[in-house]
Amino acid sequence: MKRLFTIYFVLIVLFFFTGCAGVREFFGDIVNKFLEKNSEKTPGVTKVLPACDYLKKASEYEKNDELQTALFYLQIAGTLDPDSTKIHEKIASLKSAIDHKAGQHFTTGVTFYKTRRFEDARKQFLTTLRYSPGHKEALDYLKNRLHPKEYRTYKVKDKDTLKDISDKFYKDPSKDVLIAYFNNIKTGSEPVSGTILELPTLGSEFNRPPIHIPTELTKAENLLKEKRYPEVLRVSEKILEYDRLNQKASDLKNAAYYQIGLELSSQENYPEAIKSFKKVTPEYQGVEEAIQQAINKELLKAERLLKQKQYEQALAVAGKILDYDKSNTAAQNLINTAFCQQAKNLIIRKNYTEALHFLSKADPECDCVKKNISDVYTSKKKQAEVHYLNGVKHFLNEELQSAITEWEKALALNPEHKKAEKNINNARSLLEKLKKVK
Amino acid sequence: MQQSSNRRKPISGIVFLLSLLLLAACITSARSHQNISEIRLNNDFIIVTATVKDTFSSLAAEYLNDPSKGWLIAEFNHIKSLTAGQELIIPLFSFNKGGLKSEGYQTVPVLSYYRLSKNKPSKIAITQDDFKAQMKYLKDNGYHVITLDQLLGFLDYQEQIPEKSVAITFDDGWISVYDIAFPILKKYGFPATIFIYTDFVGGGKAMSWKHIKELSEAGFDIQCQTKTHRNLTVLKNKESFKQYFNSLEMEISYPKKLIEKKLNKECNCLAYPYGETNNLVIAMLKKHGYRAAFTIDNQSNPFFIDKYKISRSAIYGKYDIEKFKNKLSVFQHMELK
Repeated sequence: MKRLFTIYFVLIVLFFFTGCAGVREFFGDIVNKFLEKNSEKTPGVTKVLPACDYLKKASEYEKNDELQTALFYLQIAGTLDPDSTKIHEKIASLKSAIDHKAGQHFTTGVTFYKTRRFEDARKQFLTTLRYSPGHKEALDYLKNRLHPKEYRTYKVKDKDTLKDISDKFYKDPSKDVLIAYFNNIKTGSEPVSGTILELPTLGSEFNRPPIHIPTELTKAENLLKEKRYPEVLRVSEKILEYDRLNQKASDLKNAAYYQIGLELSSQENYPEAIKSFKKVTPEYQGVEEAIQQAINKELLKAERLLKQKQYEQALAVAGKILDYDKSNTAAQNLINTAFCQQAKNLIIRKNYTEALHFLSKADPECDCVKKNISDVYTSKKKQAEVHYLNGVKHFLNEELQSAITEWEKALALNPEHKKAEKNINNARSLLEKLKKVK
Repeated sequence: MQQSSNRRKPISGIVFLLSLLLLAACITSARSHQNISEIRLNNDFIIVTATVKDTFSSLAAEYLNDPSKGWLIAEFNHIKSLTAGQELIIPLFSFNKGGLKSEGYQTVPVLSYYRLSKNKPSKIAITQDDFKAQMKYLKDNGYHVITLDQLLGFLDYQEQIPEKSVAITFDDGWISVYDIAFPILKKYGFPATIFIYTDFVGGGKAMSWKHIKELSEAGFDIQCQTKTHRNLTVLKNKESFKQYFNSLEMEISYPKKLIEKKLNKECNCLAYPYGETNNLVIAMLKKHGYRAAFTIDNQSNPFFIDKYKISRSAIYGKYDIEKFKNKLSVFQHMELK
């Protein structure tokens, strides 16, 4: 009884000084064992779902294209069943699928961004981020690049003053204070050459133009109706100088360049027509087709010149086509053919050096170029052999100097002609001996 | 001797009973981890089995050290209530920071109030009863009113917020915000941000610095709405560009310093008077260290919005609850596949 009373006493004292925490600590092991024992009696309540249940969930999410959640459940399954190679293979495969999908959407987004299709680009970057939440580049596009910038940058040139820059950028030298303020330049100081300045872009309301834009727009529209295209360009460009985002002025400028291009095409001045079409934004209706038509006309011209063996002119026309359209294979083929035909003529005339010079300008992967280069070397060998035999004839006729000249020609054409090299040395030593005898 | 031992028996019996009660109370008073199965996997998640006593809030307090994050557990497990024996996954990280789903993305409405009145509504004054009804609607329909910091964490793609999140703001600094809105918001436990223009403080119908300080100490976020509430995008009559520029500098730098000095808290957000801004204003805000700024565009905000053009929806005086509901768009549909 006394012992029991002592235990009660200890308990009360323990509670008094340490509260419930102390009592729990004191009885921790007993309580734990009791609960563990108790939990064993009620299976199912405390057991975690088996790995296969999480695999099933993962599979459902994967089917619904919720790949990150699927990956999450797979990782749980993998942790619950660390020995399963199948689960770990599946994790690796899903990670790779996620990277692939994210990469594809990101690339498409960048393409849209480059062609200024910003809404489409945003959708692609969001999809990238949904598949791969840590995709830093997609996030950068969404958070930074897709928002218009408040600044434009300017690299200071030699002798530039703030007033010069302000005049150049804002058409108003008095806004130099703005440049100084945003670039921490003290009053009275000038920017150092080579420094990159940040210049806040101002709305048209702060760049008061010396022209009345609505009046100028009407003027440009009337000029377009009267087909006075160069004048349309002059007026619309002036408007854009003061209000570079003016859509109507941009449309008028595009229309004028397009019409000028059509006029030049009708005069068969295709190179100038293409130049004009290229100044129109690619989205302008019909411009891409007009450029292609003009290029096709120029290709026909180049082919005609090639048939007439006017190689230089054919090369010039095809070269210009490539300036407009770098991937134009027809123009590239035409250039290779022109060089090959010229090389072939030179091989016939035994002008191998010039032939190789022409062939070096063509595409080395082109079949006709490969064949012509091979022909040059075969012909050179044959020609070297002819000179070698001529040398032998001279040698037999005791015409040593002529023999040496022929063998030297053979060696020049074929530096690996060992016999010619040996015979030259022999003939020279014979000549030396003869000189001594005389 | 016999008598004394007989007397001791009831005493020791009482002590024994008391001790047992004490022990039992101590064992059951704390949520013992052993009542649930807990598996911690990596540093990413914990699997637990809920007990009768568990709530989302208690689990969040225990495992995420933040009772207010119960929604994170509910949203991850796609459940709205808990049942005993239910197996739960507790994510230890923000699993969807941008609120992106295959069918679209999360948006956060930011409500903009001005004045409140006891009974009579006006264009910019909402009545006490209407305001109460709107707050009740938010509570009853599962909306989470988030703080400005949470909103900025979401817009920075740093922090996940509840799917049905909404932020509450007040403009100008009217005394009715203190008298009427403050007790209602307090009742619902909703945080809010007040954008004050400092020249208004202490005026006839405006709050004093004492009121503002009290709200700040009660957890309201006090931010700035310039010094004089001038339209930051429009040159006044006969105002030169230089005068306009100097005025902008004053409107943006002065109130920030004053609020920080008066409240000893950082002021890093601004609401544009009349909701209007331009590139020059934004450039100047960035130069002065503002983190974000708010317009009035009546749109909800995705995480990728320009933080210097965060949109708010103005709640005017004569709005019925249907009009109010239309301002609470929390998801933008768009196929993200």
